[in-house]
Formats: sequence, C-alpha cells, structure tokens
Amino acid sequence: MNKQAWIERAKELGLEQFEIYQALSSEKEFTWFQGEIDTFVTSKVLGTSLRAIKNGNVATLTLENVEDETMDEALNALAQQTEVITSTETVSLTEAQEVEIIENPHHFKMLTVEQIEQMLKNIESKALAYDSKIVQVAYLGYEQASGRREITNSLGVELSDEDQVQYVACSVVAQDKDSFKDATKIKVIFDHDSFDEDQFVKEVCEEALGKCGAHSIPSRMCPVIFEKDAMTSLLGAFTGLFSGDMIAKGISPLAKDLGKKVFSEQITIFDDPKNTDALSIASFDDEGYPTRRKVVVDHGVFEQPLFDARSAIKMNTKSTGNGFKSGYASSVHVSPMNMWIEPGNKDLDQLMETMQEGVVITDIMGLHAGLHFASTQFSLQASGYLVKEGKKSDPVTLITVAGRFLDLMNDVWEVGSDLEWTYKQIVSPSILFKNCAISGE
Amino acid sequence: MLSKQQLQRLLTLCMHSNADFAEIFEEEGSSEAISMLNNNVEDVNRVLRSGIGVRLYEGTRSVYGYTNVTDEKSLETMINDLRASLGKKEEGKEVVLTRETIENRHPIQIDPMEALLKDKVDLMLRASHTAFNESKEIEKVTVTMSGVKQHVQISNSDGKLVQDTRVRTRMTCAAYASDGTTLQSGTASPGASMGLEFYESTTPEEIGKEAVRIALVMTQAKPCPSGKMPVIIDNGFGGVIFHEACGHSLEATAVAKDQSIFCNKIGQQIASTKVTAIDDGTIPNAWGSQNVDDEGNPQQKRVLIKDGILQTYMIDTLNGRRMNMKSTGSSRRQSYKFEPTSRMSNTYIAAGTDTFEDMLSGIEKGLYAKKMGGGSVNPQTGEFNFAVQEGYLIENGKITDPVKGASLIGNGQEILMNIDMVGENLARAQGMCGSSSGSIPTDVGQPRLRVSSITVGGTANE
Repeated sequence: MNKQAWIERAKELGLEQFEIYQALSSEKEFTWFQGEIDTFVTSKVLGTSLRAIKNGNVATLTLENVEDETMDEALNALAQQTEVITSTETVSLTEAQEVEIIENPHHFKMLTVEQIEQMLKNIESKALAYDSKIVQVAYLGYEQASGRREITNSLGVELSDEDQVQYVACSVVAQDKDSFKDATKIKVIFDHDSFDEDQFVKEVCEEALGKCGAHSIPSRMCPVIFEKDAMTSLLGAFTGLFSGDMIAKGISPLAKDLGKKVFSEQITIFDDPKNTDALSIASFDDEGYPTRRKVVVDHGVFEQPLFDARSAIKMNTKSTGNGFKSGYASSVHVSPMNMWIEPGNKDLDQLMETMQEGVVITDIMGLHAGLHFASTQFSLQASGYLVKEGKKSDPVTLITVAGRFLDLMNDVWEVGSDLEWTYKQIVSPSILFKNCAISGE
Repeated sequence: MLSKQQLQRLLTLCMHSNADFAEIFEEEGSSEAISMLNNNVEDVNRVLRSGIGVRLYEGTRSVYGYTNVTDEKSLETMINDLRASLGKKEEGKEVVLTRETIENRHPIQIDPMEALLKDKVDLMLRASHTAFNESKEIEKVTVTMSGVKQHVQISNSDGKLVQDTRVRTRMTCAAYASDGTTLQSGTASPGASMGLEFYESTTPEEIGKEAVRIALVMTQAKPCPSGKMPVIIDNGFGGVIFHEACGHSLEATAVAKDQSIFCNKIGQQIASTKVTAIDDGTIPNAWGSQNVDDEGNPQQKRVLIKDGILQTYMIDTLNGRRMNMKSTGSSRRQSYKFEPTSRMSNTYIAAGTDTFEDMLSGIEKGLYAKKMGGGSVNPQTGEFNFAVQEGYLIENGKITDPVKGASLIGNGQEILMNIDMVGENLARAQGMCGSSSGSIPTDVGQPRLRVSSITVGGTANE
C-alpha cells in the first residue's frame, strides 16, 4: 500500500483529514486431546482501517484486501459515509506530537514444535495422574501470537509498535459422583525453562477438585468476598462507567458525578497503558494519541473520565489516550487499558478471617446478559465456597449473586492485597463487601 | 474467488500429504453498522471482507490455516505449512471438482449493502421518532442498523464445489427512561436473512414502540425475589432457555469428546414428554438459515427431541468421524478466520396445547418472564444461566408487579424434565451465539411454557 499516495488522493477528493490504521497478526495454535495433537491452526492476517473526516464528520471503512488501484472507490465510499453523519460535534484526528515510547520489559522466547508437543503431552499425563477423580483433560492448547500496528495520518502522525505473547490453556474435568466439575487455567510462558508444568497442573487440578461436592445454598443476604478473578470480571463489565463517550451521551450513571464521591473511600482506581506490570503496554492509543497514567477514582471520588479524541471534543477537553479498537475492523471507542484497583493490606485468608461468616465468589458467569449497564443492576450465576468461623468451608454452586454495582462499591468492608496482573488488562484484588444478595435453592 | 482450476491445483497439493480430506473455504463480502443517538447519525462503519481458510484432516486430527493474503504463492506457502504438520508426500489424490448448483431458499429484494445510506437512515429515524413520540418519559433513544452480505465458495477433495450468498439485516432500538434515580432501558432487535424489505413486515415503528414499552415497564419494576419457584417463560426469545440449557450440549462439538451431559443418550428420555425440539436451518429467510452449511452440505431440519426422547445431535463432518455418525449439515463459522464446528441454526421448542390460564392457575408465588435476555452454559456440567429482561410476579394465580434484576439458573438435565406445560403461541427471535467457531446468527424460539421449579436470582430476600 502506497500510504502517501492514499493520503494525497484523499485530500484531492475533498477529505479534510485521513488516517490509515494497519494491523498485521500472525498466530500458531496447537491443541492436544487424548495423547496426540488434535488441531493445528496457523494464520496471517493484515487488516487496513481507513478513517476520513469531511465537514467535521468522521467515517470508518475497513479493507481486508487493499489495492492501490481501488483507491478512488474506497475514498469515495468514505466520503459518502461522512455525508450521512448528523451528530453536531466537529471531529478531528490526532495531530503529530511527541510520544514517549516505553519499551515492553516482557520478552518471549518462542517454543519449538518439539517443545510444544512434549509440554502438552506432559501436562495431559500429569493431570490425569494427579488424582483419580480427574477423568479428562477437556481442552489443552498452546498459542503463540505476534502483532504489529501502524498508524499514519494526514496530520503527520506516523507510529508503529509490535507485541507478542505465548501461553498455554488447560481445562480439566473432575468426576463428582454422578456429575462433573471443571476448571480452566491460562498461563503465559516467557520461555521454556521458566514454565513450571507441575505447578500449572497442580493449580488447575486443585481448582476442579475443590468444586467437588459443591451444592446450592438457601437464599440469603450476607457478607461476600469477590475473589480477585471474579472481582476483575465484575469491574471489567462496568468500566463503561468511566467512559467519556458514555458520559457525553448521558448513559453512564456517573455522567453528572465528576468530582463527587461515587464509591467507598477505600476504592482507588488507576488506568495506565504504560504500566509495565501488565503484559501488554501501549505508548500511544489506536488514534496515535500518547497514553498516560490517570487516577480515575481517588479514595472513592470520581476524578478522571477516560476519553478518545471524539468524546473529548464532546466534553470540551483533551483525549486521555484511551481511543482503542477491539480489532482492526471496529470503530475507535473509549476503552481502559491496564486499569486496576489499588490493593489493600490483607490477603484472602485475612479477609475471610475478618468476614468470619459469609460466601466467597470465585466465578461469575453470564456477564454479557445478566447486567444492566445504565442502572448497574446485576444478577449473575456464581460459584465459590462458604466461609465459617473465618475459614474456607464447603464449595457452593448454582447460586446467583445480585445487586447494584454502585451500591456494592459503596458497601466495601475491606480491599484485599492480592492484585495479580497475569495476562489481563483490567485487574482487581479480592474485595470484601458488607452485604450482598445470594440466591439459591 | 479462485477459479475451479486454481482450486483443483491447490486441493491436489493439499492431498500430497498424509491428509485424507482437504477443504478450501473462500469468503468475500461486506458488513455495515450505522449508529444513531437521539435522531443523530453518530457513526457509519463498513468492512469489506476477503479471506481464505484451508483445512486438512487426517483421521480425527485437523490442521487449519487462514489468511487474507490470497495470491496463489502465499496460499501455497500456507498449504505447505499445513502439509508439513501432517507429513508431506510426493504422491496423492488428483482432485477433480464438480460444481453444484443449489436452490436459493432465501431470496432478497432490496440488498442492504447496495441500498442508499440515506434510505437506511430514514428507516432508523422512523424507529427513533416513534420512540420519542411514544412517551414524554423517554430521555434517550439509540438505533443501530447492521447489514451483512457474505458470499462463500466451498470446495473439497471429495470433488465438491459450491457457492452460497448470505444476506442479513437487523435493527436494534434501545429506549431509556428514568425511574427517578437511574436510567432503565428497553431493547428490541429483530432481524432476518432478508433485505430492507424486512422492515415492511416488521416496521421500524413497531421496533421503536416495543423498546419504549419495556423501558416504561422497567421504571415501575421493583426488586425481584429469590429462590426456587415456578416460572412461566413467554414465547420468542424465551427460547434461549432451550438454546442454553440443552442446545449447546447437543452440539457434536461437546458430544464427540464426551464433554456433554447428553452423551450416549439417543433414544433415551432427556426431557419432559411435553417437549419436542427442532433445529431447522432451512426456514426461508430466517435469521439463522443458510442454503448450505459452512462445509458446503445442505442445511437440514433436525428433530432433536421428540416427545422428550433424544433423536439426534447436531453434527459436523470432523466430529462425525469421531462419533461414527454422518454430518447433519450443522457446520458453521463466523468467517474464514474460524475452523467450523457443529452449531445451532434456528432452534425452537414446538407448539403444545396448554393455555396461559392453566399455567397460571395453582401458582401461589412465581415469576412470569415475558422477555428474556441472553445467557450462557457450560456443556460439561450442564449449568446454565440466562437473564430476564422483562419479568412480573405471579401471586395466587395472577400476574402482578413488574420486577427487575432477575436471572434464572439451573442444570440442563433437570430443567428439561421440569417443563410441565407447553403453550400454542410459537414464535422465534433473533440472537448472536458465541462459541468456538465465532459469533453466528441464530434464532431461538418456543411457545409460552412453564417450568415447575427453577432458581430465580434476584435481590429481594425475605
């Protein structure tokens, strides 16, 4: 693709500003089932997303097959798209500015095919030998992926970066009398020697075995700990609260609460795409705007919404560098990257000791359906375990946990210390809440 | 699209390996999403898709490669990678393709991707204006129109060469009203494998009104009670109960690897005798229909459960090999970026004869779930959940107050046996189903039915 020729032609055709976003991704995935490689997937995909601005209106066209000969067709289609936009704000692309590039400290030494096969074989056999109740390794897969993104626009932005990852994922099934329980773990592998197969197998098998004997419990209101993974999922489902776009549209329940106390004063939330504790980092967002560290919520007070270029214009402010795409074909939208709740001082055992009697939620399911964003009402299938006299007790399944997220986050008893980044871009430590509705049998 | 000669050459190259089967899936097409907020068009996003997926089998093993770099040299490089992973051979089957012609059961009149943007915006404005005019309490209205045109060509080493074109349109309207403290919303999002003529039978005005109706009900709703109770689930999207509680567990994806609660149960009673369940990918112009599945096999009507007895699973070719069963034409994928597997199409519980009055009578305390949201299931354990978008209390045989914040959870095996009444008013509704071969359009459906006991998750504890 002759990018300069596209930029010049866009100008000739009356497009005031023009941006070319390209993402190249390559992946290799191996899955293992019952003693042999089950599937092997290899891919190489280049996606090109064009954004144009005409009369202050923005439109996006993504091409999976880019040829310079079809330049006029694509650019004219974009111009037509801008003509039907009737929203009132005048949108602008990112101007060229200094971007401080942070190097990602995480380096990967990719495994060879022989190492991958041996590792998967070992994990399956070790898991099946771990306990007689482990009856199947239902999924065992390894994936390596590398990606490159390039952003070029008519205002002089010319940026690129690369990212890579390799990980193993495993689901094991434990037989629990007449029923089955399962557990899944994902582990990032930096190099072959530092990956501890035995520890990985132990973690996934223990989680599945720990669910055996789980039962439902009668409905109740009680203290609840959302264990770190469950709390991370819940927080992730509500990060739209802080989206400048949702605030500008008046749909975020926090739309009128900037500068006000919205959560318990024990809650402080940061967002920093440059945080090198996280696996992926970005020195600039998908619009080419520099990223930075923000205190989103400071001791319960909503201090800083997240903005992309467009929502910033709507709110008469500047982008916070949070304009990201969920894939090359998606529009830019406001998104956190490397957001976390500041950890407290007590580990999970100490939180249980504080709680004495209640429920620890380890898994929540159905997040795409069981919550209502505008009211923050949620009702979600959950599993976990009971806590009696401050100690872990019976496993619990087929319950729901329900409430209003804004109420819950004002009902914090104590924030845990067990923040763990792993491969995630939004993380929370475990949090003990004073009261939450549990429904069961 | 590659020519017949190019495909024959590439498939023959694939077969110069330990593979006993090879398939090439080509895709070209476009999709579009237009978004509107409060009568203003905010965003127009178009995607022009083009790519190829190549799959080789050796027994029950598969290797798959996909790319949108589709010149023959790049494809050869990818195929050689795939051959190497199964073991290359100097000799192999010479593939000769025969083009199949298929009857198009899903004709369209107004191509949603070719129609003028202005015409689509006008349809969206009709929904948006209706929503605002319906009630002064409506504070915000969003409307999205999405369109897809997917042209596929599927060829394989058995000599199959077939093409299909899938066209869909869908409009989603969300209306927001305040209950005094927070915004409540209602959503309606019908769609079909049709062009813009769809909005002549399902009008934008109806879509806008339905979104407003639900939003206004929710402003009056009180917290939902908790615990096990009888639940009446109304028709249309209520069918998500079968989709989650049973449908996914009848896909060969789960069954072939002994990962479903319904393994080895053909011929056995797995549901109440009131339940007959069907997955039909042939319904003309339905949201989840295709002419051929994504392996090029004709879509079928599959009776999954008849009077409570399990009849068959939904099977794709590769999992069929593991199960020693033939494909049921159920192989689907989001795009060339996904290896296909067995998936649902338009799945519904057939109509029964029970009346609403009979269902209500005798319920002292229960829930009437008029509109359902989405849900999810773990086929391995059978545990599922789904959300209630619009629900009402049933007290002493009568429908009383609307309730909010409810979900229903349970175990698939148990819930199918607990369906004790099935009504007459069968209807289908549209959803997007996510699983290992991506996000695909599926219809869910059922008549009104009653579950004698299910766990309701709410916030009002007594």
